[in-house]
Amino acid sequence: MEPVIEVRGLHKAFGSHEVLKGIDFAASKGEVVCIIGSSGSGKSTLLRCINLLETPDGGAILYHGRDILTDGTINMPKYHAKVGMVFQQFNLFGNMTVLENCMTGQMKVLKRTREESMENAMKYLRKVGMEAYVSAKPRQLSGGQKQRVAIARSLAMDPEVILFDEPTSALDPEMVGEVLSVMQNLAQEGLTMLVVTHEMGFARAVADKVVFMDQGVIAEEGAPAEVLGNPRHERLRSFLRSML
Amino acid sequence: MPTASTSFFGWVAFLLQKYGMLFLRGTGMTLLVALTGTAFGFLIGLLVAIVRATSPMPTLGRRSAAAAVRGALLRAVQLLLAAYIQVFRGTPMIVQAVVIYYGAQYAGMYMDTTFAAIFIISINTGAYMAEIIRGGIFSVDKGQFEAAHAIGMTHWQTMTTVVLPQAIRNILPSVGNELIVNIKDSSVLNVISVSELFFQAKSAAGAYYRYFEVYFIIAVIYLILTLTVSRILRFIEQKMDGPDNYVIHGSQSDSRAEIVVSRENAEEVEKRWNQ
Ligand SMILES: Nc1ncnc2c1ncn2[C@@H]1O[C@H](COP(=O)(O)OP(=O)(O)OP(=O)(O)O)[C@@H](O)[C@H]1O
Ligand SMILES: [Mg+2]
Repeated sequence: MEPVIEVRGLHKAFGSHEVLKGIDFAASKGEVVCIIGSSGSGKSTLLRCINLLETPDGGAILYHGRDILTDGTINMPKYHAKVGMVFQQFNLFGNMTVLENCMTGQMKVLKRTREESMENAMKYLRKVGMEAYVSAKPRQLSGGQKQRVAIARSLAMDPEVILFDEPTSALDPEMVGEVLSVMQNLAQEGLTMLVVTHEMGFARAVADKVVFMDQGVIAEEGAPAEVLGNPRHERLRSFLRSML
Repeated sequence: MPTASTSFFGWVAFLLQKYGMLFLRGTGMTLLVALTGTAFGFLIGLLVAIVRATSPMPTLGRRSAAAAVRGALLRAVQLLLAAYIQVFRGTPMIVQAVVIYYGAQYAGMYMDTTFAAIFIISINTGAYMAEIIRGGIFSVDKGQFEAAHAIGMTHWQTMTTVVLPQAIRNILPSVGNELIVNIKDSSVLNVISVSELFFQAKSAAGAYYRYFEVYFIIAVIYLILTLTVSRILRFIEQKMDGPDNYVIHGSQSDSRAEIVVSRENAEEVEKRWNQ
């Protein structure tokens, strides 16, 4: 199947510090790819490059086969709408209510009407179980609630892919479950997802593919049972031991 | 007509009666130049701060020659703006007033004094505002910029809909402070004969040589102006913060519909909701 997102020979350095040293991988439609690896291995940088929050130094990022770094015909706002991102720190807009958070992008980027945007926002707020909080401000919500709103905000753009960067790492333990179950539902509905996570249980249960990043390269990748159950590299083995 | 034995308050009453209108007009002029100067200064500061906060490689990660040229141009403009801020924050406004007013005459431009006053206060305030607003922009956490870019909003859209509303709320106390400074410091514009409060006082004081009484009156007027303005600003800040609670919406048949939630009882309400 043709990949939705494909990364080829991706390089990124901050000054003299080479963080990504040639990354190659692809995600097909409906696939859930979990990216694991120790702190500093470049997982966030990889997602941020795909989303163009960082400019790569070399390589290609193909979206349906077109390189977003060089293909001038790609409409960047549309690309961002199609490739959503959910952050560890939620990053909700503090000056807006829950509903407005989910509407702004639709109106500004997709030029939808207020009514359309509201309807769509409500649809996804219902999906993540936050429809009761439409008029709340982010500062009035718990971490788990904020993250569910952030997911709804991303979904409201009707994306093809969502990149999740440690979506549960900033949450109190009792709130991790509510967010993971929302993500599991999305996976079952066929959304393409790239998920950086330390939740090995989630990776084992939901991922189609697990990618282990180590020191700026992909050291191992494959089906979850294979990568997590039968790791070949010593570094992956010690990483998995440290996760227990 | 007061005599040599007239008391302090006698003089104050006499001067108020005789020059009340003059002081009122001066007060009007002071308020006019301070308010409009602060407003224009705010707009100048806003534009300067937005340009200065623009990163040379915005959201589009494309590597192209056009992007490189745009980046170089942006950097040149940013340097110019930094110089503007340095110059206007690094010299006294009284000196700026004289240099600009007489400098313009040197170039054959005879400015109306009111116009000159507003112009000088605006660009002077603009330099301070630019720094204040820049601080305000950086007070909004970077994650919100990224989230906005991640859903495809442009730098401009991100600024106007997400960042600036929060930045401006955060800096409102400093903006109010600038207005108060301008109400007081517009007095230096008497050097170019702007008919503001201090200038009127100068002519009134000279008429009877009653410096203490006249400047006492003027001091009280300045104090009333600044106190009133602080009060109004405090009120606006409270308005902008909005209510500290929100309403939970439920279906109409649901008895739990429309529960007002404050930050304190949010978790309790959520527990009930999830039962
Ligand atoms: N903007 C930046 N400037 C300089 N160095 C950076 C920047 N962003 C990341 N780095 C460095 O790049 C390396 C990889 O960072 P990255 O955030 O991608 O790691 P990560 O795998 O996501 O780690 P974690 O699990 O801690 O989130 C780190 O050493 C980090 O210090
Ligand atoms: Mg990270």
